[in-house]
Amino acid sequence: MKVEEIKVPLRDVRRTVKEFYNENEWHFITVNAVDLGGKVELKWFFTRYGEDEYFRVVVAQASYDEEIPTLTYLIPSAWISEWELADLFGLNVEGAKTGLFLEPDSPRAPLRRG
Amino acid sequence: MGKRITVPFGSQHVALPEPIKFVFQTENEKITSVEVDVGYVHRGIEKACQTKFKYTQVGYVVARVCGLCSISHTLGYVTAVERLMGVEVPKRALYLRLIVSELDRVHSHLLAMGHTAEVAGYENLFMQTFRYRETAMELLELLTGNRVQYDYATIGGVNRDLTPDVAKTLKERLKELKERCLWIKDVFENDFTLKLRWKGVGVVTKEMAKRFNVVGPPARAAGLETDCRAEFNYLPFKELGFKLVVRNGGDIYDRNLVRAYEVINSIEMVENALEGLPEGDVKVAVKGLPDGESFVRVEAPRGELFYYVKGSKKMVLDRVRIRVPTFANIPVMKELFVGMDYADVPATVISFDPCLSCTAR
Repeated sequence: MKVEEIKVPLRDVRRTVKEFYNENEWHFITVNAVDLGGKVELKWFFTRYGEDEYFRVVVAQASYDEEIPTLTYLIPSAWISEWELADLFGLNVEGAKTGLFLEPDSPRAPLRRG
Repeated sequence: MGKRITVPFGSQHVALPEPIKFVFQTENEKITSVEVDVGYVHRGIEKACQTKFKYTQVGYVVARVCGLCSISHTLGYVTAVERLMGVEVPKRALYLRLIVSELDRVHSHLLAMGHTAEVAGYENLFMQTFRYRETAMELLELLTGNRVQYDYATIGGVNRDLTPDVAKTLKERLKELKERCLWIKDVFENDFTLKLRWKGVGVVTKEMAKRFNVVGPPARAAGLETDCRAEFNYLPFKELGFKLVVRNGGDIYDRNLVRAYEVINSIEMVENALEGLPEGDVKVAVKGLPDGESFVRVEAPRGELFYYVKGSKKMVLDRVRIRVPTFANIPVMKELFVGMDYADVPATVISFDPCLSCTAR
């Protein structure tokens, strides 16, 4: 398996993705968060159509309150993964609404640790 | 100005007995905007996997994410952990996993095709499809002990070997299943009324499929050549005769035909696996604790299923992330509805074979 990891500051995520992302070539899988306590590590996963076991992963860290830039300008389907981050981690994602995955009486940000 | 009506679809709807809600704004029965809500039954399975269960138990927990594609979830998880821990799975176990995975695809695809026939008003075809699906489920029960939610794969191999008697029965009954599925394929492909009802309805173009990162049969029906069985080597698909099924219409008709052809290919792969089943162990002992991260893509019946696993030498994992195919296809469904006649909505929704059990995992 080939994994190409690109670590960038949060403010550069959109620019970094814009530089390589072309919808004819790349498939956006999802964005994932891992709670590090007070901050999260975010990973945007991409793969190339037709390529065997290949991932390109854009990595950034964000504090709980920092605004996470949306990628929906570049990838229209990204909103659903971003809204999930807003619901399940209580993160502040640009343009994201809460309540898509959790009901109003659910615990808030259930995937934060501790 | 036309007649404006708000039409709710779900959270419980006759066409789809799972809790998803679309709210359609319509004007003269054409849809002008859509809102979606999938959060009725969020079960917190990811949270449970990283707080309550040991990494050796998580495979059994994720098998309960979905009844229809439980083997795909288990395979996604165990493959991620095996790669993280450097476990070499015996070849016989990989073949057995493939047999269960493909029989699971057969019964799941037949379910989706049957439901689409039902919403087209073809009750008899629905019942006939479900009747034939029973054969696949009986074979799965014979092999794994359960009709659904079979805890077959485990870290290091599989939990149950195939006896010669069961292998013989499987080979005999697969012939019967293949004949029936070929008949079903012919009906879905050639029936005049079904073509009238489904051709050109709910069209996802290849451009849309790429733009919205569509996965699974809806992507392949739109001409997008993507299938994790070809792009990720988690099971020996290539050596057992995997064929990528792609069509170009992108409509309900082609989505069903992709499934119909995949059913035939899956049966052929199972036959090939039974014919060339290697001898040897079905499980290896696994020692140690997972340290680091791993991610895999597997092809569930509904499309690409992504698992991310992170551990730090503890019995309980730091993170288990499940990105299911229905979740990935919701954005294109939302886009597709705008401009469509409301009358075409139930058939279009069902043709995506959505699974809310997976989405609200």
